[in-house]
Amino acid sequence: MSNPLFPADAPPALVARSVSKRFGSTQALSDASLEVRPGEVHGLLGANGAGKSSLSRIICGHVARDGGELLYRGAPLSPRSTREALDCGIALVAQETCLAPDLTVLENIFLPELGRAGRLSFPDLRRRATAILARLGREQALPLDAEVRSLSAAQRQLVEIAKALALNADLMIFDEPTASLSPAEVQHLFDIIGRLRDAGHALIFVSHRLEEVFSITDRVTILREGRTVAASLETARLTQADIIRHMVGRELGAIYATPGLDRAVAAGAPVLEVSNLSARPLVRDVSFTVRKGEILGIGGLIGAGRSEAMEAIFAMRPRDGGSIRLNGREIAIRRPIDAIRQGIGFVAEDRRAQNIVPDLSVRENLMLAHLGRHRGFGLGYRSRQARVARLLSELGLPPDRMDASLLTFSGGMQQKVIIARWLLIDPEVLILDEPTKGVDIGTRSAIYRILRDIADQGVAVVIISSDFEELLGVTERVVVMSDGMTIADLPTSILTEEKLTLLAAPRTSTRQNRALLETLARDYNAFAWWALLEDQALICLGAAEAQGAPPLNLRAGEARRNTETGIPAALAARDETIRTEPESGLRTLMVALRNARGHDLGWLGLTVAPGKALPDAARIRALTRDWQTDTHAEGDAA
Amino acid sequence: MSDASVNRPAGIRRLARSLEVRMLGLALLIAVGLSLLSPYFLTQNNIFNILDQSVVIGIVAVGMTFVILTGGIDLSVGSVAGLTGIILGLALRDLPIPVAILAAVASGAFIGLVSGVLVAFFGLAPFVVTLGMMAIGRSLAYIFSGQTAISGIPDALSGIVYTTVLGIPANVIFLLLLYLAAWSYLTYTKGGRTIYAVGSNREAARAAGLNVLAYSILPYVISGALAAVAITFSIAQILSADPLAGNQMELDAIAAVVIGGASLAGGRGSIIGTLIGVLIMVMIRNGLNLLGVSPFWQGSAIGSIIILALLAERLFNWRSTH
Repeated sequence: MSNPLFPADAPPALVARSVSKRFGSTQALSDASLEVRPGEVHGLLGANGAGKSSLSRIICGHVARDGGELLYRGAPLSPRSTREALDCGIALVAQETCLAPDLTVLENIFLPELGRAGRLSFPDLRRRATAILARLGREQALPLDAEVRSLSAAQRQLVEIAKALALNADLMIFDEPTASLSPAEVQHLFDIIGRLRDAGHALIFVSHRLEEVFSITDRVTILREGRTVAASLETARLTQADIIRHMVGRELGAIYATPGLDRAVAAGAPVLEVSNLSARPLVRDVSFTVRKGEILGIGGLIGAGRSEAMEAIFAMRPRDGGSIRLNGREIAIRRPIDAIRQGIGFVAEDRRAQNIVPDLSVRENLMLAHLGRHRGFGLGYRSRQARVARLLSELGLPPDRMDASLLTFSGGMQQKVIIARWLLIDPEVLILDEPTKGVDIGTRSAIYRILRDIADQGVAVVIISSDFEELLGVTERVVVMSDGMTIADLPTSILTEEKLTLLAAPRTSTRQNRALLETLARDYNAFAWWALLEDQALICLGAAEAQGAPPLNLRAGEARRNTETGIPAALAARDETIRTEPESGLRTLMVALRNARGHDLGWLGLTVAPGKALPDAARIRALTRDWQTDTHAEGDAA
Repeated sequence: MSDASVNRPAGIRRLARSLEVRMLGLALLIAVGLSLLSPYFLTQNNIFNILDQSVVIGIVAVGMTFVILTGGIDLSVGSVAGLTGIILGLALRDLPIPVAILAAVASGAFIGLVSGVLVAFFGLAPFVVTLGMMAIGRSLAYIFSGQTAISGIPDALSGIVYTTVLGIPANVIFLLLLYLAAWSYLTYTKGGRTIYAVGSNREAARAAGLNVLAYSILPYVISGALAAVAITFSIAQILSADPLAGNQMELDAIAAVVIGGASLAGGRGSIIGTLIGVLIMVMIRNGLNLLGVSPFWQGSAIGSIIILALLAERLFNWRSTH
């Protein structure tokens, strides 16, 4: 949506050309470019690890770039600190706010000024703060004298924005700003962003929530593996599929241990069954099953609650609902040792903080889970010696460095030792959270081979990974999580990175839409579904089935060819009238869902048995309007 | 990828990498210096003196090592020693000696249990909990004793100090056996290794199924009990229980543990290092006495040596990591 006050040919506020940045052995950015105009909201998109955050942090002076060029209002920019960037007028509004919790709102807004010499006039500051909040249309939302500690996440964010405006920031970067906001708060934020755009600020919106990108941004730039792969595309001309194609699109590497054709067949009886697990606030409803000899992937975006769900299973964080069954028997895990005694191993995500005991030798780190499980006064190391020796040679670990500190090992070797720690207790289930994070490519493929081997020996393996390529290469089945819920459970053979990305994208509307589907199914004795339609296929995002409804071949989180669904005629017609299938006589009504800016949110469909009644399209649209306005209207609902 | 210098260090360098060895070197250096300065220092009599003076502080330092290994601190040992000393003195009026000692040690252990539960279960800061316990212990010591020292301790108690085996006094033998037991426990048992793991990385220890709660509490219990044991040996020598006894004992104990190479952040340290630390502290005090240095200067001397030892250690580590 172009801004009449700031025409498209206005000189850009910020230009980044071929920016590169390396962190240790990781090339975070190699050729990232970005151009942001005043008076626009510019979306910066990319998959996990594409470099969105690195680029934002370089622009706002948090880290220095290695190469490339930054121009701010035509002049070269090389901020050496966030302070320097702020002085130029560049501010970052991050997920984690950096406010002083014990100071008041007013003091926080003017925190950078408190350090200056001279006397402060509090009445004057108060006047300025009120003026800033008025510009944002939020005079009533912030008590200036409240301590920041007592504020909600949304209010803190507002303080951050006001703080940036107090310094006359012209360029503001919003890094995943909606992650901890409720839908209504998201609307308020979008209203504020809209006002800032109209006032001529240049705004960068970093997010992987595609719906939000469509409702707030004017143009988008897409990064993939540290490079800009699509620069300044107009949002209005894009579809979700376009964006996902840009975010993904690359060949699978050959580093994966290819298990051959039998990999889906080999899996045996269910070993670990988790149902309706909940550990609020991040884990809301997680269910999955992993079978003997199978590698199951847990996919999703960072922040989807995957690590938290696994930690809850392992009693590393409190659980408030759900059940865990092992070999068909319900088990109570109150402490990690309970899980270990049942034969569950867990390689936690953060190697340094959750796995390595730095002051113990490599040997003792290797023995740690054994020690935890060991009953008795002594150490019982001797009884494991033969097994340790075998493991060391299997994993390619140096037996002569067992007394060194584990910290002198490379990341990949450390990870092998931690995996060996759990193999030593002969687990039935091994859960690994981001097992190849910070691991060099050579060791990665060794780790994949190890995981394949232990699965072939009958261990049920669960892998969490944000790297979709890795998930597709290693697993037999993928359970996708989004916003703390498992939303899809699909065999890897039918998945692609595109589909995974689409499924993993958090949808503000998912919950309301589920409820709506269930209501519709009940009211009309129908099969109600919500899907994204492609030419010859669809991806089902949600489905609800009433008793007596026709059994369509649609399941939430699954992709289908139109011809496989049972309603090909309706899908081919895709208009908003009732269609009857020529063969089966099933009656289907489909309604296109669009947000207030006209973007495609998929289709909602109701299918009933031959001869049964259906409502008209207007009735369904009236029902869907609620959540569409709630989450997608641009105006301020309040 | 691999760090070759770790793979094959020369014999000397490997030895020098061990902090205990460096501290033992420091202890020997001090001993040699003092024996050059005072001809009396290296006499058999004075060596027994040093060992005798090491007993009380040495016993307390064992408990302190356990606590510091988990990343905690126990500031209450001095007061607990004072209080349990009074309990011992009172108990000896009516009870046989072994029962009275047991009562004192049990009260020390109980106070440690309270501190340990407050720290490990309720998550309060060890510094604050034991600071509070320190005040409570001293106050109760005054109240129970009626503000005066308890005399009339039965002479038989002094047997635990003055009995000799092969010419070695019983209290020194007890100290050595205690260090041997503590060293074995920390090195060869599940509990001992758990204490190290908890201090080094609590989260990882919990994830590996170790009983973090129990082994975070146990060190405080041991520390409290050993404070009572220490004061028992002290009372056996002077045959009087003073409510002020054990004043500032916690500082000496912490200093000995730190000189012995333990990290106050937990996870690093050893019982042998602590023994060396105790000997360094006692030797310095003893040597300064022999040299006729005013007692008022001794604090400055010991404080400087603690700080210099740690500084040297930090510089050594800088060199080996940069």
